Amino acid sequence: MIELHNVTVSYQKDAPALSGVNLKIPKGDFVFLTGPSGAGKSTLLRLVYAAVKPSHGHVVVDGQNVTRMTRHQIPFLRRNIGVVFQDFKLLQTRSVFDNVAVTLEVLGWEKKDIGKKVYHVLKQLGIEHKMEASPQRLSGGEQQRVALARALVNDPKILLADEPTGNLDDHNKDQILKIFKEANIRGTTVIIASHDKRVVHYSHNRIVHLEKGRIKENRDDSFQA
Amino acid sequence: MTRSRHSVRPHASAMGPWSRFCYFAAKAWANLLNNRLVTAITVFTITLALLIISLFLLFYVNIEGTVDQWSRKVVVTVYFEGELTPQEVTSLKGKVSSLQGTDSVQYIGKEEALKRFRSRLKGQESLLEGVAPDTLPASMEISLKKQFRSSEAIASYVAALRKVQGIGEIQYGEEWVRKFLSFYQFLRLLGLLIGGFLLLTVMFIVSNTIKLTILARKEELEILSLVGATPFFIKAPFLIEGMIQGACGALFAIILLVSGYYAFLSNAVNFLSFNPADSGMIFLPPVYIAALLFGGVTLGLIGSLASLKKFVIN
Repeated sequence: MIELHNVTVSYQKDAPALSGVNLKIPKGDFVFLTGPSGAGKSTLLRLVYAAVKPSHGHVVVDGQNVTRMTRHQIPFLRRNIGVVFQDFKLLQTRSVFDNVAVTLEVLGWEKKDIGKKVYHVLKQLGIEHKMEASPQRLSGGEQQRVALARALVNDPKILLADEPTGNLDDHNKDQILKIFKEANIRGTTVIIASHDKRVVHYSHNRIVHLEKGRIKENRDDSFQA
Repeated sequence: MTRSRHSVRPHASAMGPWSRFCYFAAKAWANLLNNRLVTAITVFTITLALLIISLFLLFYVNIEGTVDQWSRKVVVTVYFEGELTPQEVTSLKGKVSSLQGTDSVQYIGKEEALKRFRSRLKGQESLLEGVAPDTLPASMEISLKKQFRSSEAIASYVAALRKVQGIGEIQYGEEWVRKFLSFYQFLRLLGLLIGGFLLLTVMFIVSNTIKLTILARKEELEILSLVGATPFFIKAPFLIEGMIQGACGALFAIILLVSGYYAFLSNAVNFLSFNPADSGMIFLPPVYIAALLFGGVTLGLIGSLASLKKFVIN
């Protein structure tokens, strides 16, 4: 599903964000990217949704070489990838419904289909009663659930999350991780970048540990669970 | 074999160009309403900018109109020693009228010349004592078409006129014409320079205002790009917003200009020593109004396009 072949990313000349990274993530996998700040976790996620291009090497996502994609092909790749951030990235002037509906509008869905699907996904995540509210009136946990609803509403093949629980309390962390787990059970490949030990030990999953732009450990605990 | 969950997603509706346009227009309208304050500031800036341009145009059109009126005074006069017979006048008028560049020809007989002279010296009639109708020469005044009012064109016209049989002494105030025409050209150049400078300033201000409004919605652009929107999908509502703001700005500028113009006309007599309505002052011709509207829309469109170029990247 996702393959990185000898990938190097350099924002500055002498300090590459990622250096010679080789990684294969099969379809339906659940992977935690761990490591200290500046280890290259976010850069690795950005490579997958083509927000950065590698200086060297190749990135293959769902059979397509992302490195060779033109800027007109990138949106079509992203339609199969959901992305969630620590700061939620929600439009504060729009309702919860509008924030989630935008993903389907981009895909050209009919208005009535959008209504049904958005309601369905918000109900799954337990926030359908907040549909008309503005995100700024929601708690951190609820805002992250809206961001997750936006990422999951078109049933993406891949779900990426960059420190998704960074701003949440323990109860909300567990709730959010449960949603990731459920998405993974439904067949979505999930990659979560986090340096939160509680999150990483949440379940026995594959852990890719990065340090200074290199993979230090690539451990799969799922078989021991 | 079970089908993958991803392959049974509902198909995206096949939007035609018209329904796509309606979708983008509705989105643009909703965005304008959602960001009322920012929209109002942008429209106000465009209104002010276009009002400055239109005031300049109004001023320029009137100055040019006045100068054009003056340029009608560029007249070639042919003097005759004696009075011409009506047959001679008709024949000469025909010959002169057939020359390229002639606009109108008027014969001034000796009597008429004295009458004119008398009216110019109103109040100083004593100066006319002893001046008999025979003293002043008969003449023919030839006014030229607009494109024949340059120094070179007048000179070549006069050369052609000299070849006409029966033509006497020719005068056209060579020095005055030369000075007047160079003043006219200087005025046009000055107008062009000030107009160009104003236009550049206005474009700069408007595009920066629009840039600020787009910068305020940078996160929206980022989210759209993240969920797989094509650059066109992201840009289209913003471009329509820019065009609507530009059109509204132009419309308000025109309304303010019209009200200002008529308020000035009706009140000018109170603080001016002349009535501008009687002095031939004109409002902007319809083509200028259309150009202002078109300019407003284009300004909004170009301002949005230039700003989006900076922010919409993958």
